[in-house]
Amino acid sequence: MHNRLGGRIVSLAMWSLLLVLSPTLVAGQGSNTTPPRLNGNPDLNGIWQAVNTANWNLEAHSASHGAVWQSGALGAIPAGDSVVEGGRIPYRDGTAARRADNFNNRAAEDPEALCYLPGVPRATYVPYPFQIVQSGGDILMVYEYASANRLVNMGEARSAGSDTWMGTNNGRWDGETLVIDVTGLNGLAWLDRAGNYASDQLHVVERFTRVGPDHIRYEATIEDPTVFTRPWTISMPLYRRVEANAQLHDFKCVEFSEDLIYGQYLKEPVQ
Amino acid sequence: MSYRRIVSVVMTMAAIALLSFVGVGSAGQADDWTHPVTPWGDPDIQGLWPADKLNGVPLQRPQDFGERDTLSDDEFEERLVYAERQLEIDSAELASRRPLIGRGGRFLECDDDPARCRDGVRIGPPNYWDERGVPNRLASLVVDPPDGRIPPLTPEARQAADERNAARRARPCTGTEIGCADSYEDFNLWNRCISRGVTSLWPGGYNKGNQIIQAPGVVAIRNEMIHETRLVWLDGREPPPPNVVSYMGYSVGHWEGNTLVVETTNLNGIATIGGAQHSDQFVMVERFSRVAEEMLHYEATMTDPLTWTAPWTVALPLELDPSYDIYEYACHEANYFLYDALTGARTLEARDATAQ
Repeated sequence: MHNRLGGRIVSLAMWSLLLVLSPTLVAGQGSNTTPPRLNGNPDLNGIWQAVNTANWNLEAHSASHGAVWQSGALGAIPAGDSVVEGGRIPYRDGTAARRADNFNNRAAEDPEALCYLPGVPRATYVPYPFQIVQSGGDILMVYEYASANRLVNMGEARSAGSDTWMGTNNGRWDGETLVIDVTGLNGLAWLDRAGNYASDQLHVVERFTRVGPDHIRYEATIEDPTVFTRPWTISMPLYRRVEANAQLHDFKCVEFSEDLIYGQYLKEPVQ
Repeated sequence: MSYRRIVSVVMTMAAIALLSFVGVGSAGQADDWTHPVTPWGDPDIQGLWPADKLNGVPLQRPQDFGERDTLSDDEFEERLVYAERQLEIDSAELASRRPLIGRGGRFLECDDDPARCRDGVRIGPPNYWDERGVPNRLASLVVDPPDGRIPPLTPEARQAADERNAARRARPCTGTEIGCADSYEDFNLWNRCISRGVTSLWPGGYNKGNQIIQAPGVVAIRNEMIHETRLVWLDGREPPPPNVVSYMGYSVGHWEGNTLVVETTNLNGIATIGGAQHSDQFVMVERFSRVAEEMLHYEATMTDPLTWTAPWTVALPLELDPSYDIYEYACHEANYFLYDALTGARTLEARDATAQ
């Protein structure tokens, strides 16, 4: 058993000191007096969550009506800034129609509406917390949404055996940053509720950098030559869920999607 | 999902050897083995512990065994022969392949992809879907009570179960070979890809992978089946209030020596355990003991005074297998079983309506 509160206070004190002494260190530029470490690497353990509108639309957008009028303002879309470096996603010519099509059919076709696995990078910014379980070796990412999880292999890189929703995840430490190279993604997960998408040629390189006791800077570079003209990068802060006894809860959303998926096949079809 | 299911004599012998090893418990540890420790000082029980060396072991023991908990040589030989026959059947190559899921979760009709249908009916999964694992000498997973049988239900629980069953039988429904198929609610949680419940670590038909990953203050138990993870908190926290319930419940744990003791409560009672619908009084206490570098002794005791007349305990030997691959089981994302059952029943209804 560990005295977590004690460790927490020490950790906070160390960070406070760092903040006072050198703001540049907080930007994650390295130091010998770094925050809590595990096996010599930054300790990313904890429950984290994005607090932004990336899951509604990675790009800048105004507030607007939701996908179904019956939800009223409950389903309305909050306005938000772009998390894409440079503002816009560099789609290839001829791919815009697919995104518009996705958007128009999102109430029935967004994989999130169907409770499908979220894919990478969307798993990071769906509006649910996730937990990093960092053992010293391999790292397990556990997501509240749909009980998704992925194991980040920190050993010798493995090639993707087959395409999956959450991909084949090979991690390595680059100084203060956990870098995850994600291949073998099946491309079926959308990137957001606005219908931004990629294909099974998708390759994602994620960077998790601790920039404070309760903050991670998350970056993901998205490469897919069949859909985009060049690799592009999203970035956002991730916030630690600092409330006492923060924990992931079950969000097994399959049962919330069954009427949508199977409703027309029931003996008494859902109207 | 692993495709290693060769029932070789070597592996069988290894399983027997390991079982007798577990039989003598921690006293059987090699003298030069010391329990591994995590960088932060907890006993280290991390690794891949698939429940795939338990082929043929039923949950409950056949009644004629009495308190005998292992098979005789002849009985074990029979189990081996059966496993070999099963393997031959499982390995038979079938022509069918599963059709792809349509865009946006829409299922492709047979007409969309006639090459993957026979007589207008979608083809089922091939037998190699199942992973039986290596046969084992154990007579049952239940080890307590000593006769290996789950204790009787309380009279109240028995009556409630009978009433539920009677109501189910009395309800008119469109029957298929697999029972009612009026709605997805006619199918169990596993068929619906919702959850295998808190006993997901116990051996099932396939996807027997289990992985334990530890971090300071928390242990993650990852199950391959339906990609579920239980997070066991070791920081002394209490579970949420009783009105907060879920399929996997809430788990808190502590170390007793090198044994991880996990208590799970707050289950929603929808999943059955040992075939019974339990009450909100249900508590499961699990004990994970690494008795050798490559052997984890697992025990789970189920207590629910409103359901069973006594607590009962399951024990599993779990062998470390770093070569085991946990594959992503995106179960719900292409659940053709449910689609086929529902559309099949609607087709039968339409046919019957035409016939009348």
